[in-house]
Amino acid sequence: MTAAKRFPALALIVLGAAFMVLPLLIVLDNALKSPADYSAHGPLSLPHGIHLDSLKDFWNRVDFGRVLLNSVLISGSVAVAGTALSVLNAYAIGIGKVSGRSWVLGFFVLANVLPQEALVYPLYYLAKQAGLYDTRLSLVIVFTVIQAAFGTYLLSSVLASFPREVIEAARIDGANSWQVLWRIVVPVSRPTLGVLLVFFFVWTWNEFLLPLVMLPSNDNQTVSVALGVLQGQRLMDATMTNAAGLLGALPAIAFFLLFQRTLTRGIAVGAVR
Amino acid sequence: MAKLRKPTAVTAMALAGALLLASCGSSGGGAGDGRTLRLWHYEAPNSAMGIAWNQAVAEFKKSHPGVKVEFEAKGFEQIQKTASMVLNSDGAPDVMEYNKGNATAGLLARQGLLTDLTPEVTKYGWDKLLSPSVSTTSRYSAQGIMGSGNWYGVPNYGEYAMVYYNKDLFASNGVKVPTTPEEFTAALAAFKAKGITPLADSGAEYPAQQYLYQLALSKADRAWVDAFELYKGKADFHDAAWTYAADTFADWVSKGYIAKTSSGAKAEDAGVSFISGRSPMFFSGSWWFGRFKDENKFAWGTFLWPGSKLTPGSGGNLWVVPKNAKNKQLAYDFIDITMKKGVQNALGNNGGIPVAADPSAITDPQSKALIGDFTTVSGADGLAFYPDWPVPGFYDVLVSAVQKLITGSAKPDDVLDQLQKAYDAGIPR
Repeated sequence: MTAAKRFPALALIVLGAAFMVLPLLIVLDNALKSPADYSAHGPLSLPHGIHLDSLKDFWNRVDFGRVLLNSVLISGSVAVAGTALSVLNAYAIGIGKVSGRSWVLGFFVLANVLPQEALVYPLYYLAKQAGLYDTRLSLVIVFTVIQAAFGTYLLSSVLASFPREVIEAARIDGANSWQVLWRIVVPVSRPTLGVLLVFFFVWTWNEFLLPLVMLPSNDNQTVSVALGVLQGQRLMDATMTNAAGLLGALPAIAFFLLFQRTLTRGIAVGAVR
Repeated sequence: MAKLRKPTAVTAMALAGALLLASCGSSGGGAGDGRTLRLWHYEAPNSAMGIAWNQAVAEFKKSHPGVKVEFEAKGFEQIQKTASMVLNSDGAPDVMEYNKGNATAGLLARQGLLTDLTPEVTKYGWDKLLSPSVSTTSRYSAQGIMGSGNWYGVPNYGEYAMVYYNKDLFASNGVKVPTTPEEFTAALAAFKAKGITPLADSGAEYPAQQYLYQLALSKADRAWVDAFELYKGKADFHDAAWTYAADTFADWVSKGYIAKTSSGAKAEDAGVSFISGRSPMFFSGSWWFGRFKDENKFAWGTFLWPGSKLTPGSGGNLWVVPKNAKNKQLAYDFIDITMKKGVQNALGNNGGIPVAADPSAITDPQSKALIGDFTTVSGADGLAFYPDWPVPGFYDVLVSAVQKLITGSAKPDDVLDQLQKAYDAGIPR
């Protein structure tokens, strides 16, 4: 390919990247302004002097350290437990080929497309009956199931095309079902599992409605709910909202950068197959 | 390879187990032993209410030694969305701020989630501090309709809409501050002649509908408001008041007093256009007062809509005591402190509108004018509530209707038809 041919594609990618980064830059820009500066010059001007009070005030107001810990705890638990559950389900459906598996898969898809608004009240009553209302455990359970529904669906189709010869070879060598799963299937599909882990973490991190409903007390709040504290009845505090947005987005960005290689590797493996 | 992987797997399992265990911790509400007061509200800490209520907490701690106050700052949305669920559980706070109105406090009262405060109101004498149009939003009938029945909440501040104006722009353009409707339209025309759009507006949010409602109110009386807001009579959107409002609004848009480009603007945009000195006037609520005081870099003042006895406004949000509250007596004590002179004066001196302040204790002249106007309006029974209150979902209908007036995509008459239809479909029967 010549440089001339490559140029339009490259320009398009740069343009796309700029589009993705621009909103983040605006958030950063406004998070560093003083409220008076914002009101006087509008949202698109550059800050006249760095003003870190919005960030500091927001951190203290919602006890951000604690909120961050809650989110990491919940998202981390869901990512690990959800992936584990997905593997076990998918092993039974994709490799074990249990009877009626298409029905089971259909059920999982259904659970996945159900809008969360429809689940709110049933989950609220169940959690209250079980004494789990306003505990982080309730969210971990709910999201593990929701995410695992998608994970099962995805992994089942991946494992359905798992090379049978490998499994049969292991069987002949005397491996039982558990050893086949643990020694053969999991190691081979590790890139896919890594991707699932990352996605589950980020998806759970961004959840708003269910944490809002299930965790009323501030001690248990997650990051996305804490950001909502700034939404006033009639007024908004633009600079502090931006500061909050910045603080809310940073962990997700950091997590993404950390696991970027896992993601790209997982996608590449999928492409070869 | 297998050897290398094993430790990773074990670590992952251990981590998962630890995370699961750690997330088991429960919170649980405080016990009903009279030793903790759990308080929730959603006002920003630097707002008038935030400052005054902080002071109330300090005074409460002083008069109740040994009682712990557990305050949690909430978001407006959070309380709106989850109140009925939280209040139905044992996680309910002892006292919390809640939005007034039929669809909010009225609904919770009807569902039996709020404590009837009528005995406490007479015992502490709170009813004597509140004027009739302020206390309308405190009382709800068995159907959850405001204006009569038991007391389910107590407001300790008020709010109303007024015209904020930029004194510097008035002076530099040689425009006189209007006191009559004729002078008001003359001032609008004078600014327009100089190439300045006189009124800041936002079509996508509440400001535009408040212009429309205020225009109607300037031709209306209390019976009209009671018919529209409290269903005591038939609300006719083709009567003289509404027709005048819609025609005048459309006329002002065509004359350029209200910018056509404001149809998509947010309330924040309208406020910022006033703060940055681009708009000489902005008609909106007292909730802007504190921010304008902090951020306006020019001389400014406020006046009531010229020639109108009625103005949009009401008592503020309510203190409510959930049915499941565990320390109700502490909650009543706390509410009483917020109604006392000390906290009321703090409200007034920080840009809020107290309902029972000591007028001589308010030192700032702008705040004095703000509170003086409120006393005038509420004393003359002139608080006319807000246009979106009577019917659930009416807010969005009003937004779309007024946007049509701004863009000129529908005639005033058709817009009024749209309002009538939505209103008739939504009122309780």
